[in-house]
Amino acid sequence: MAKPSIGVYGLTGCAGCQLNIINCEDELLDIAAAVDIKSFIMAQTGNVECEIDIAFVEGAVSNEKQKKQLLDIRERAGLLVAIGTCASWGGVEAMINDVPREVAKKDVYGDTMKDNPFYDCFNPMPLKDVVKVDFQIVGCPIERPQFIQAVASLLNGNLPLLPTYALCTECKFKENECLLIEQDKFCLGPVTKAGCGARCPSNNIPCEGCRGPVFEANYASEVEIMLEKGYTKEYIAQQMSTFAGTISAEDLGARKLVKTDIP
Amino acid sequence: MKSLRMAKRHLPKFLESLGKWGKVYVPVKLGKNSYRWEEFDGEVDNIALDALRTVIPAKKFFYKPREVMFEYDKTNGYTQACAECEEDVILFGIHSCGIHSLETLDNIFAGKYVDNYYFTRRKNITIVGTSCMPDKHCFCKSMGADTVDEGYDIFLTDLGDDFLIGVGSSKGDDIVNDNPDIYEEVDESTTKRYLEFRNKRDESFELVLDTSDLPTILDFQYDNPLWDELGERCLACGSCSMVCPTCYCYNVDDTINLDSETGERWREWDCCLFRDHALVAGGHNFRENQGGRLKHRYLHKQQAYLGDFGRTACVGCGRCIVACPANIDYVECLKAMRGEMTSA
Amino acid sequence: MLSKQTVKLDPANNPYKPRLARIVSIKPQAPDHKLFQLRFEDRDYAESFCTRPGQFAELSIIGVGECPISISSPPTRKGIVEMCVRRTGRVTNALFDLPTNSMVGLRGPYGNGYPVEDMEGNDLLMIAGGLGMAPLRSLLWYALDNRARFNRVILLYGTRSPEDLLFREEFDDLITRADLECHVTVDKDPTGNWPYNVGVVTSLFDKVDNLNPDTTYAAICGPPVVYKFVIDQLLKLNFSKGRILMSLERMMKCGIGKCLHCSIGHKYTCLDGPIFTYWDAINLRESI
Ligand SMILES: Cc1cc2nc3c(=O)[nH]c(=O)nc-3n(C[C@H](O)[C@H](O)[C@H](O)COP(=O)(O)OP(=O)(O)OC[C@H]3O[C@@H](n4cnc5c(N)ncnc54)[C@H](O)[C@@H]3O)c2cc1C
Ligand code: SF4
Ligand code: SF4
Ligand code: SF4
Ligand code: SF4
Ligand code: FES
Repeated sequence: MAKPSIGVYGLTGCAGCQLNIINCEDELLDIAAAVDIKSFIMAQTGNVECEIDIAFVEGAVSNEKQKKQLLDIRERAGLLVAIGTCASWGGVEAMINDVPREVAKKDVYGDTMKDNPFYDCFNPMPLKDVVKVDFQIVGCPIERPQFIQAVASLLNGNLPLLPTYALCTECKFKENECLLIEQDKFCLGPVTKAGCGARCPSNNIPCEGCRGPVFEANYASEVEIMLEKGYTKEYIAQQMSTFAGTISAEDLGARKLVKTDIP
Repeated sequence: MKSLRMAKRHLPKFLESLGKWGKVYVPVKLGKNSYRWEEFDGEVDNIALDALRTVIPAKKFFYKPREVMFEYDKTNGYTQACAECEEDVILFGIHSCGIHSLETLDNIFAGKYVDNYYFTRRKNITIVGTSCMPDKHCFCKSMGADTVDEGYDIFLTDLGDDFLIGVGSSKGDDIVNDNPDIYEEVDESTTKRYLEFRNKRDESFELVLDTSDLPTILDFQYDNPLWDELGERCLACGSCSMVCPTCYCYNVDDTINLDSETGERWREWDCCLFRDHALVAGGHNFRENQGGRLKHRYLHKQQAYLGDFGRTACVGCGRCIVACPANIDYVECLKAMRGEMTSA
Repeated sequence: MLSKQTVKLDPANNPYKPRLARIVSIKPQAPDHKLFQLRFEDRDYAESFCTRPGQFAELSIIGVGECPISISSPPTRKGIVEMCVRRTGRVTNALFDLPTNSMVGLRGPYGNGYPVEDMEGNDLLMIAGGLGMAPLRSLLWYALDNRARFNRVILLYGTRSPEDLLFREEFDDLITRADLECHVTVDKDPTGNWPYNVGVVTSLFDKVDNLNPDTTYAAICGPPVVYKFVIDQLLKLNFSKGRILMSLERMMKCGIGKCLHCSIGHKYTCLDGPIFTYWDAINLRESI
């Protein structure tokens, strides 16, 4: 049987997720042996843009060119997997989506950069706003073990099973002191999807929510808790929209059912 | 039952001798206000003897948060894995509620189908309990879990200058016989001080939950809007269940290796407050909203489990009260259901 | 207190451990439904594997996962375990990709099954909707293979359309059998060639004369709408709630009363069920 073919692509993002794939040193050879990497611009030359079994796409969609590229990838790919929080939720790029793009552009580039190709952009959005996404591997950047597990699962013909619960559960597994409760810190663990092993709270740093929202993230309650602790509304909104950009300030008052149909 | 007395200065020697029976684990202080079970480092001062509740209870020694049940390959099928199953472990510093919670888990993992993973460890783990003084979140007395007369190998009660040593099993007897010179016989003063301790502790309980008739009351309160109000606040973060010594539900998932041939079947602690706990293929959810899921946790503990085993699946340790970011208070909620005035 | 010493540990007997079984045949039934015949690799075990009608087993697709599936074959036919499966998700998808002769894992049988001892000597009325035929088929064949132990045996079976009819190859015979009153129906017949009844399953009640609620056990299995309408009908006919048996579906992980996924009130669907009387069911909150 022919090896499954894959492609790894980057849109607007920091390329950290792709780098994390390259950094899967111990397993990279096994992966390379199991699949036929048709395109991975960051890692190899001689890329071909043809029909592939699985496309891994990093980054948010933030201009027409990327939108076209993504539609093209979708056309060619059997399965499309969003990798990283940007591709899944918009990520840091979408943090200021509530500021009109024209204002933001002016603030960043002034008037001098009109000819710069990057100037021609719109509000960054997650892949799912443009195409059908079959699976998401979240994280900023993605966790290597999760990526490997996901690839292994896909090679075996099934969608991966990654944690669907909130970070607090994992934080408990780590037996950490709760920073929110015992130290009144601004921790986004209760609304963030687990999978990083509660990396930050395990190092005594509150979770910033870089993995994006858990299914049914109860923002309203989190906001309530933080207000009670004396954090201001502005601060709360700013913190909460850092990574989960597309569900930003105006949504924060609601118990949000954030999931689409994407596992 | 065999009782002895040990002067507190002998504690180091006592702990040292415990080491002969396996790896000793003790509660240690963590951060500002928390504790966790860690391997004893030989420093008695590092043991938090006053710790009431570790973040994760001792159940993690018997039933791992995430563990491999089987290794498999596609030709030979499933082979039982049981990492650390055969390891001898001594838990020093488990309290009465913790010992009772193990009985709660025993009931579940025994029965017609015996859970080998749990009971292999249960067999290999030595329980050295210690007495405690309740704080404002302890309500073990209301749950009938404030004292133990069995279920431990040794139990130490703090009587000021010395410990009363209760020997609860033949293994416990071996342990004390290993070091005869550090123990003395109990005398009249021991009894007197023990009674004083008992009475003082008894009077220290601030939190009381009346459980009389609670299953029936909960039945009547099935449609109380408070469930949904609490559900609105609940973040489904899972903390209450993870920290609970008597919560036992789990999820199973299979992972596969890159060779598409071999892999592992895992089980992981689960929580009935999670959205997918009762979600079946096709998208139907038997507990559609968070209020219903929260109610399930309470009813399971105070009604369903009680019906099956004659005791509640709650030992009153107070962990879930402390661990809830949304301040959802188990006792307050049940009091409200009883119609008692509260602030829940 | 339950003391840990009273528990007998048998390391060779891990109740969670699936035994290897081979898919000996696959028969497509309806769109996305197939009947799998499985045989345990261990021949002695295969022969000794003893079930009750209405029980289920946990089926593992090695490398993918495990899920509960009713045993469709009757206990009177040993050696082979039949399962009729609908493709719905991860595990069932993977099962549908497997060719004949593949190895799967199987453990069981689990659940209470139908109270056949009580039912014997009575009339038996089975009412199935769609995939609800899967658990009822074991009861049906149990009754037919032990025909003398039952009085009337009646089967009412409804599906959405003719192509959804499961066990079709059996029904041509079943319908003509003299010792079985068998009626099938489809909600709609787009083909126009359907020789039997058209209408919902309750419309088949008209075809059954003289049902005596005092001497009949009714076993129902199907999607929630079927329960609703069929139970209404049975109550109208004065059936006692304890004589109406239903098979409940719940999320299951362990199948043996440990993981709590299947709990309904103080009952575990996997241990105390999946067969419940209607009386049990109305006394279990959230059950239907
Ligand atoms: C007692 C009983 C008997 C059943 N008999 C049959 C049968 O004869 N034929 C048939 O096709 N189906 C039957 N089902 C339903 C079948 O179990 C589900 O369709 C199946 O679990 C879906 O698994 P999946 O992995 O393909 O789907 P996914 O949606 O991917 O489910 C993932 C996992 O969730 C659990 N799960 C999901 N849905 C259910 C469910 N409805 N019940 C229990 N666990 C679930 C399983 O552990 C499953 O592996 C039965 C269910 C029960 C409880
Ligand atoms: S520290 Fe944060 S992630 Fe950990 S339990 Fe507390 S709120 Fe949850
Ligand atoms: S703890 Fe939070 S911020 Fe830190 S890595 Fe995990 S999800 Fe990201
Ligand atoms: S329900 Fe709460 S108080 Fe009761 S045993 Fe569990 S954590 Fe402790
Ligand atoms: S700890 Fe509180 S917020 Fe978290 S799941 Fe439990 S009740 Fe809900
Ligand atoms: S399926 Fe695990 S308890 Fe019933």
